[in-house]
Amino acid sequence: MPLGPPSSALNIQGPSTGDALQNAPRAPTHITIHPVALFSILDHYLRRTDSQPRVIGTLLGTRHENEVEVRSSFAVLHSETDEQVAVDMDYHRTMYELHHKVHPKEVIVGWYSTGSNLNTYSALIQNFYSQETVNHPAIHVSVNTGVEEGQEAGVKAYISSPVGTVPKPENCVFIPVPVELRFHDAERSGLDLLLSTGNSPTSTSSQPVADLEIIERSILAVSDMLDRVLAYVRDVLSGQRKGDPAVGRYLMDTLGASTDDLEKGGFNAALQDTLMISYLANLVRAQAEVSSRLALTAAA
Amino acid sequence: MAKAVDIEAEIPLTCVQLDGMVVTKIIKHAREAPSTTAHGLLLGLDLDGILEVSNSFPLPQHVNDDDDKSAKSSARHQASMLRSLKEVQADDSVVGFYQATTLGAFFSQSLIDTQAIHQDKLRHGGIVIVHDISQTARGNASFRAYKLTAAFLDAYKKSNFSTSSLINHRLTFSSILEEVPLKIRTNPLLSGFLGTLAEASRAPLSSATLGKGTSELGPSFSVLDLGTGGITRNLEQIVEAVDNYRTEEGNLSYMSRQIARERAKAENYVAKRKEENQTRVAQGLAPLPEEDVSRLFKIPAEPSRLESLLLLGKIDALGRSLGGTASTGLVKMYAANAGSTV
Repeated sequence: MPLGPPSSALNIQGPSTGDALQNAPRAPTHITIHPVALFSILDHYLRRTDSQPRVIGTLLGTRHENEVEVRSSFAVLHSETDEQVAVDMDYHRTMYELHHKVHPKEVIVGWYSTGSNLNTYSALIQNFYSQETVNHPAIHVSVNTGVEEGQEAGVKAYISSPVGTVPKPENCVFIPVPVELRFHDAERSGLDLLLSTGNSPTSTSSQPVADLEIIERSILAVSDMLDRVLAYVRDVLSGQRKGDPAVGRYLMDTLGASTDDLEKGGFNAALQDTLMISYLANLVRAQAEVSSRLALTAAA
Repeated sequence: MAKAVDIEAEIPLTCVQLDGMVVTKIIKHAREAPSTTAHGLLLGLDLDGILEVSNSFPLPQHVNDDDDKSAKSSARHQASMLRSLKEVQADDSVVGFYQATTLGAFFSQSLIDTQAIHQDKLRHGGIVIVHDISQTARGNASFRAYKLTAAFLDAYKKSNFSTSSLINHRLTFSSILEEVPLKIRTNPLLSGFLGTLAEASRAPLSSATLGKGTSELGPSFSVLDLGTGGITRNLEQIVEAVDNYRTEEGNLSYMSRQIARERAKAENYVAKRKEENQTRVAQGLAPLPEEDVSRLFKIPAEPSRLESLLLLGKIDALGRSLGGTASTGLVKMYAANAGSTV
């Protein structure tokens, strides 16, 4: 799943060439981003000063074989003028050390900037970060916030390689790398919460949400899907549409799920267990309440 | 607009507003932290009764070596983090802290202590946001904001949790903390970006005949999971908490018995002395002086009931989360059954 506008680029991974390059780390071919990193970048962009056309910062994460997982990010001060670019290195170091204390596993993997233009300064900053990510190629993630007219919001990731007969820091080629959003399943509900918040007209939602409400939403979504499948199947049966064997196979696998367990009295047993637990929970709470009240009575 | 200028923090807090970024930050930290007690600081501003939490950062885990040392390094960590955040125009005033918990059982001595310190130092006394990891994993991200009640704070300041103090302050576990309404807010930029992510992007090469295309955020149905794996752990924790409570109660009753015994001894002594004096007066002798009883008999101070109070609160929270799981489980079971009989 690409993050952002689709591109027609083919990403070819060259075969590892012999022993000569065995020790050199391979360039990442795949980059994943955690929502926290992304949202921090957006927040940083929101808090920029008027004079800053774009903001940059450091990406932290972990490396696997040839995949880089960006897990968080922090803002770094920098200034760009027509003549020069400056990055506050002390600041970058301090922030990294602070961050490292809490998440010891996360290391510097590269940098981000907002906006999608790559220029000489990008190459210079890239050069700086390549020194920070010793032995590993630095990655560059550019986040287009979609604020400017005519630009689509999206995320792109690049690695760099030197260009020219004499490698100079201000010359490099940025090679796009596929990037996608990745998060743990357990964090999914947080994103759902934000999504529904973002969709509401006031951009706010109150907590806590009742469990039942969320179940209702899911069940409605499922029934909506069933309706869509049903419409499709009817269309195929009546000959209005040509059936796709792959879809048929998927439907068979999904809907053929066995519910034998439920029918063979499993339902009643599970029901009794659940009721028992519910009873127990209420009993425990009642006891706790009673004993906290009893503590309030003075010995006569 | 005059209301907005609130130097003395006189407008009471009516609501806490949590930014979308903080939501993800807390969830990530809570999930990744090695123990279940991930905590960190909340930064933001209060405006006209609404406390806007706009940023947060995690605090390092205490590795329980020197309490003093770790407290110092944690303070240093905070200070330099705040300085750094200020440089990039982020909010840098601490408004409270967050605490991760599992199964709703967040009552703990350290939480109360930290919050009591904050209540003195921070504007509006600061808030604590409690995030329940297990509930989030079940598909309902839950955040709640609390502050200490005035009654509890009063008792805490006097560090007096004897029975009479509890009665005076009418303290039970439910009156330790009061909940502050909490809202989640996403700023327009974030809403827009999320919208783009969730929107079906037209994948050029896929042959999706059925769907509307793939979205970066596909549907998730973890809510509908019928599995009841968490219940066993919940039950175990309840049993453990009840055991702890019993031990604590045992200690308390042992101590109160000891107090009663000492007191009886002292009273006995006083009564005896009085009797003796009476006989001496009757015989025409000078009465013996009334000695200071408290010096002769050490009556131990009445034990603090705070620990047992907190344990009860924990049991109640665990029971509530178990009850919640059971009742939603019931709904899901009937839903599944209805689906299978059709």
